[in-house]
Amino acid sequence: MKKLIEQQMNKMRPLFQPGGKFERLYPLHEANETFLLTPPDVTKGAPHVRDQFDLKRAMIFVVLALIPATIFGIYNAGYQHNFVNQIAGATLMDHMIAGLKLCLPIILVSYAVGGIWEVLFALVRKHPVSEGFLATGLLFPLTLPPTIPLWQVAVGITFGVVIGKEIFGGTGFNVLNPALTARAFLYFAYPAQISGDRVWASVIDSKNVVEGFTGATPLALGAVHHDGQTMIEVLHQAGYTLKSMFMGLEPGSIGETSTLMCLIGAAILLLSGVGSWRIMLGGVLGLAAVATIFQNFGGPNAKPLAELPFYYHGVIGSFAFGMVFMATDPVSAAATNAGKWIYGFLIGALIVLIRVSNPAYPEATMLAILFMNVMAPMVDHYVVQSHIKRRTRHVYA
Amino acid sequence: MASFSIRKGFNIKLTGAPAISVSDAPDAQTVAVLPGEFGPVKPRLDVQEGDRVKRGQKLFHSKTNPELCGVAPAAGTVTAIVYGARRALDRIVITRDANDDAVEFQRFDPAGIRGVERGALLKLLQNTGLINLIRQRPFGRAANAAATPKSIFVNGMGTGPFQADINALIKGREIAFQAGLDALTRLTDGKVFLCLNGAATNASALTDARNVEVHTFEGPHPAGNTSVHISRLDPMKPTDVVWTIKAVDLLQIGHLLLNGEVPTHRVVMLAGPGVAEGSAQYYRIRIGQSLDSLLKGKLREGEKRVIRGDVLSGDATGADDVVRLLDTGYTVLLEDRERHLLGWMMPGFKFFSASRAFISTWLGGTRREWALGTNQHGEERPMVLTGLYDKYMPMNIMVDYLVRAVLAHDTDEAIKLGILETMPEDFALCAFACPSKVDLVGIVRQGLADIEKEGI
Repeated sequence: MKKLIEQQMNKMRPLFQPGGKFERLYPLHEANETFLLTPPDVTKGAPHVRDQFDLKRAMIFVVLALIPATIFGIYNAGYQHNFVNQIAGATLMDHMIAGLKLCLPIILVSYAVGGIWEVLFALVRKHPVSEGFLATGLLFPLTLPPTIPLWQVAVGITFGVVIGKEIFGGTGFNVLNPALTARAFLYFAYPAQISGDRVWASVIDSKNVVEGFTGATPLALGAVHHDGQTMIEVLHQAGYTLKSMFMGLEPGSIGETSTLMCLIGAAILLLSGVGSWRIMLGGVLGLAAVATIFQNFGGPNAKPLAELPFYYHGVIGSFAFGMVFMATDPVSAAATNAGKWIYGFLIGALIVLIRVSNPAYPEATMLAILFMNVMAPMVDHYVVQSHIKRRTRHVYA
Repeated sequence: MASFSIRKGFNIKLTGAPAISVSDAPDAQTVAVLPGEFGPVKPRLDVQEGDRVKRGQKLFHSKTNPELCGVAPAAGTVTAIVYGARRALDRIVITRDANDDAVEFQRFDPAGIRGVERGALLKLLQNTGLINLIRQRPFGRAANAAATPKSIFVNGMGTGPFQADINALIKGREIAFQAGLDALTRLTDGKVFLCLNGAATNASALTDARNVEVHTFEGPHPAGNTSVHISRLDPMKPTDVVWTIKAVDLLQIGHLLLNGEVPTHRVVMLAGPGVAEGSAQYYRIRIGQSLDSLLKGKLREGEKRVIRGDVLSGDATGADDVVRLLDTGYTVLLEDRERHLLGWMMPGFKFFSASRAFISTWLGGTRREWALGTNQHGEERPMVLTGLYDKYMPMNIMVDYLVRAVLAHDTDEAIKLGILETMPEDFALCAFACPSKVDLVGIVRQGLADIEKEGI
């Protein structure tokens, strides 16, 4: 099998090399070839031996870490669909099938359209097709509601790849996380299809929805005042307990509802050493700190979400998903170790701050991460400056 | 005596470790001297083809510093003077004859070396070319006799995969070693540091060395790199000059001082996965002899790469290369162009990695010995994963930012970030582990060269 592929590749390669018929399509051939077979390149100088670990491997672990959240997200989308439309007797299989019908097209469109842009830029710029897109192409659909129109998926991923990444020079040079850039674009350009109470489950016939269904996510509940009730009581009344929100069988974007699945993803990223534990832990600490401050010093007129203890904030909304998969994108995050702590901490802190004090944007994770993406170079700058100062002291002591 | 424990780093374990035994390599009739070995010297020839030279006789001197010479490692007739590209002097070939006469240099009494004048010692070291064994930082050039080093570091350990072990080579040459150390104390107003491996048993000539400060370092590679020792014991300011020398090289200087003759032989190590069974050991070999004569019949079948020094920091050599004065050993790897089907998604039982992204690492793969080849395991990509290099840099250096400063030609920033305290070899382990396969060693080498050219 390997021999056969190797032979085919050796036969095809001259067509794509300078002077060949498809010379201009070389990056496409290269991507295809290195997808199938590891490259035969040998080291050119010291060090003469290299680690087996490469960027393809790193990126595939991001995709691997996303798989639990993806599968659960598909199941949840189907579950919500069947629940809302009162489809009686739906089994696990039915939920999966309904979910696949909703989610698979979104994922496929994201990969196909984004992939086309990626290849197009690679061909024009004559650089290899970046493995980074393997992760972006899956991350983006998981941040979308299952009812999103497919043309918006296409427009969104286009914006994310082109404006979020390629105009900066491609993978490794972008300031913002491309997947989140894509989502932010849709969020502000087409808010009706990505926010509110109606987008999380597809309603077949509005006369036949389950009684009392509002489709409100836990965060949306926090945006309105509830006289005489604590926030936790309000959540319970709507059927949201700490456990249910941790498990994630609730309305929300495809991949983000289950904190448990995000934690499995985090474990994969951390055990393989691909994700940064400093950013993740920093985020949890930031969230806990600010949530605890709000809870204790919020005052009598505080907004409803201020009452929640920090572990509620941890399972509500997309905090876990954002912290594990989005904030840890190494290109748009802070690059220094100290910077990662600060970057993660501030994302966690900002998420609670935005949620509590500005319920007009119930979903604060995206905004907090994008904001800190922009700030990350500055955080790093100060870390490096203080490093230089300490170095000078060390050397001149 | 202090002992330092280094935690950051990683040990690469290769198959083909050298046996601790020294045997004689087959002798050769011709020897060659390559002026290029000593860095950017502009040589002026002192001999012509057909001249008869004694062992230790001057072959060429430096245009800028007439005291600095290259000498004949063997007596015989100059049979060829070969020029390379742009008429640069490539090599001087000497055919040995039976009359092995030598130029007599001054001979010293072991007890008297501490009383010798600095100027006289430097003159001797320059006239014999042995000053090239002493390296000068920053930039890692041959020591410049015009400079006075703040301190001198003697490296008596090696943590990289296969570095010549001083403990194996010092036996019977203890007096020469101490003579070398004594000479070093005359070359600096500061201290001479001897750094030893704290985890291995060291010969008593090392641990009980006199007139110098002895310190031990423990931990994974690069705990044995001189940059690490300097950073812990006597950190360098950008304007400081520090001299460094390998303990195995110091034996050569000791030999010169005690015998008044230039060394004719070196003991070199031959190791690595490309060396045939039973041949990985130490060899006593004539300086200037062709590498072929050493390697013939000792290597495995297949396409090979011979590396001067260790696989992390050495350079690949060609077939027409010779044993050079500065050589301590050779590592042989097999060129590995094998391709793996869908390698990026396989569990990876048979892959060697410092990362935890392969099953083999979880099964204790990093503790095993590996017959690694030269495969790059991936193509070069932009630097994406951050913070990874810091795990392999036990100095106060931010590798990501230092490398970026060099790439941006921001020499001021690179100096502030400490590039002058490092050598390219200090980044070899980072480059080994780099998933983007960035040429960190080459980048830092270029950065240092640029700063040297511009001046600090």
